[in-house]
Amino acid sequence: MPPQTPEQLAQFVEQMYGKLDQLSYYDLLGLHSGATVPEIRAAFYRMSKDLHPDRYHRMQDREMRDCLETIYARMCEGYRVLTTPEKRATYARLLGEGKKRLAGTGRESRAPQSPEDSIKHEEAKKFFRLGMMSLGTKDFKGAAMSFNFAKSFEPNSAIIKQKLAEAQAGLAKPGGPAVK
Amino acid sequence: MSVIGIDLGTTNSVVATVRDGQVVVVPAAHGGYLHPSVVSFSADGLKYFSREGVARRIIDPKNTVFSGKRLIGLSFQSKEVQRAISRLPYELREGNNEQAVFVGPDRTYTIPEVSGLLLGYLRQCAELYMGDTVTGAVITVPANFNDAQRRATIDAGRIAGLDVLRVLNEPTAAALAYGLGQNMSQRIAVYDFGGGTFDITVLQVEGDVFEVLATGGDSFLGGDDMDTTLLNILAELFRAEHGIDPRNEQTAHARLLIAAEQVKCHLSEYSEARGELKNIAIGSEGEQLALRFHIARNVFETAIRGLVGRTIATTQEVLSSIGLAASQIDEVIMVGGTTRVPLVRAEVERYFGRPPRTDLNPDEVVAWGASIQAENLAHAGESLASNAILLDVTPRALGIAVTGGFAERILDRNVPVPVEQTRVFTTSADNQSAVRIQVCQGESRRFEENVPLGELELSGIPPARRGEISIEVTFRVDTNGILRVRARDAATGAAREAAVNVRGGMSDIEVEEAVERQKSSDSGLLPELET
Repeated sequence: MPPQTPEQLAQFVEQMYGKLDQLSYYDLLGLHSGATVPEIRAAFYRMSKDLHPDRYHRMQDREMRDCLETIYARMCEGYRVLTTPEKRATYARLLGEGKKRLAGTGRESRAPQSPEDSIKHEEAKKFFRLGMMSLGTKDFKGAAMSFNFAKSFEPNSAIIKQKLAEAQAGLAKPGGPAVK
Repeated sequence: MSVIGIDLGTTNSVVATVRDGQVVVVPAAHGGYLHPSVVSFSADGLKYFSREGVARRIIDPKNTVFSGKRLIGLSFQSKEVQRAISRLPYELREGNNEQAVFVGPDRTYTIPEVSGLLLGYLRQCAELYMGDTVTGAVITVPANFNDAQRRATIDAGRIAGLDVLRVLNEPTAAALAYGLGQNMSQRIAVYDFGGGTFDITVLQVEGDVFEVLATGGDSFLGGDDMDTTLLNILAELFRAEHGIDPRNEQTAHARLLIAAEQVKCHLSEYSEARGELKNIAIGSEGEQLALRFHIARNVFETAIRGLVGRTIATTQEVLSSIGLAASQIDEVIMVGGTTRVPLVRAEVERYFGRPPRTDLNPDEVVAWGASIQAENLAHAGESLASNAILLDVTPRALGIAVTGGFAERILDRNVPVPVEQTRVFTTSADNQSAVRIQVCQGESRRFEENVPLGELELSGIPPARRGEISIEVTFRVDTNGILRVRARDAATGAAREAAVNVRGGMSDIEVEEAVERQKSSDSGLLPELET
């Protein structure tokens, strides 16, 4: 039964939030693994009536609201997976392997871009990398120097200009190292 | 203290509120319930709205902003803005952070600021009518508005001094107005053809629950395009007679556009339109040249058949994405002024094999739903609120750029919100100290074929060989349809969060400044309401 009163809600969040990753979609929606689509829909609608973010729109406690939204988002995910036949079949297999969620478990083989990807000149790339390492340790002076070197090899790169400006801004910040 | 629902349209806006359990639509200053979505600026800082604003589209086209909804939340370099620039009589320029800004007679205005002025005017109309202060509002947006467009709409609301309780999808609002309290069990389609956008949304209505099954649309297809089509017909008639293209002259262009809209409305009721527009241009002997026209409905229909066909194709695509046939829809709800065009109704009826519902006012139904939802949110947790629950979805797939020019999808399209997904990525080079996460929307596997939304950078990654680092990227879309992206360096266990820098958006500081500016100039917005 979904929670009704504020106390029940607090208790519900405390119970569910920490162990969200240990609950299957069936557990979350209070269903048995053979549930039919109409049963799944009815369960999700019932949960939504009390747990949809609109219901606690005016709740002051942001953290609590955030937790509730995370729990409810997982219910939405479960609803979608269990009502899509192919996804439900895949999920059944994953459940057998002890996994509780359909997506977001494995690691992707591809990598997001690196800021240096748009830089073409090899030397510029090298100095840019050095500059980024300095920037990471808040060594703005060193960073500015490296980015300036990088810029001398590839003057038109937007990312080098942007990072140089960042390093210079760091240098100029009050309390930061003095600008020579 | 009241809350209102605002249907912020491309051409017109509608404001409604719930009073004693009944929806009340706020009348417009010059009669009717449609407030023109126009703001006209003068050099002394005055703003004109309503009919004055519309009149100034002819008197002062350079300083009169209309169709602002087509520009909101888009970066200056986007092809939509670039295309709009060639057609709009007012000047746009690139401002901070790739924003498109309007060059006004006194200063420049960001698009959310212009919309904020309009929303401020609408708020005052509501306050005058209701005799009460308005604190919060639900503002509706097309279902396929993206993250940046939604954020910009919220900024506009804030600039108008409104607490934006929710940005709500227009078709969902219409469905709420249609189905609330009817205790129905139906699968409905909301066909929303407005001034500037087209949306098609399929919902399951079960008592108090309104579940969006799928949505899709075209942000750049609307009644405006029909006006442009008619404008071209009128201009060609004039050129054939006088050898002068009136589109090259700003005032003539503005007058023809307004005439085109009137001809469209006339042809929605009658089989032909005749008229004369005096003083369109000056002839070689200095004489005034007039445009006399006679346009039959079938000429107009032939010209717009392609536009209407595009809406049917989009409808077909959305239905098949959830494996439904047109015959499996129980009811079709028509929303938006463009659904008054007889050809639109005929084509929708032909496609669905049933006459669409036209008993709900297509101009007002969205504002109705918005006001109901505003009331619900303002009274959340109290018995005053209705039990309606709106289960909405993400309109577009969202992903990030990965090596090789690909887009890796993180969220699918048409997924129930709120939704949260985490994917784990790695680094592409040895000792890579930062990753750049470029966020895009769209279904294509190639990054550049999608719409870039913004980017965030996760820096300070400790030195490691390529592939050794794990970076968790989490996408969360809330019930406003607003995206939040978190990137976390999982290897060090240190959580780092960064906000997405939305391209073409206003910074928080810019919004704050605009809020203050509007606060100090709030009086005197309503000269025409003082009677």
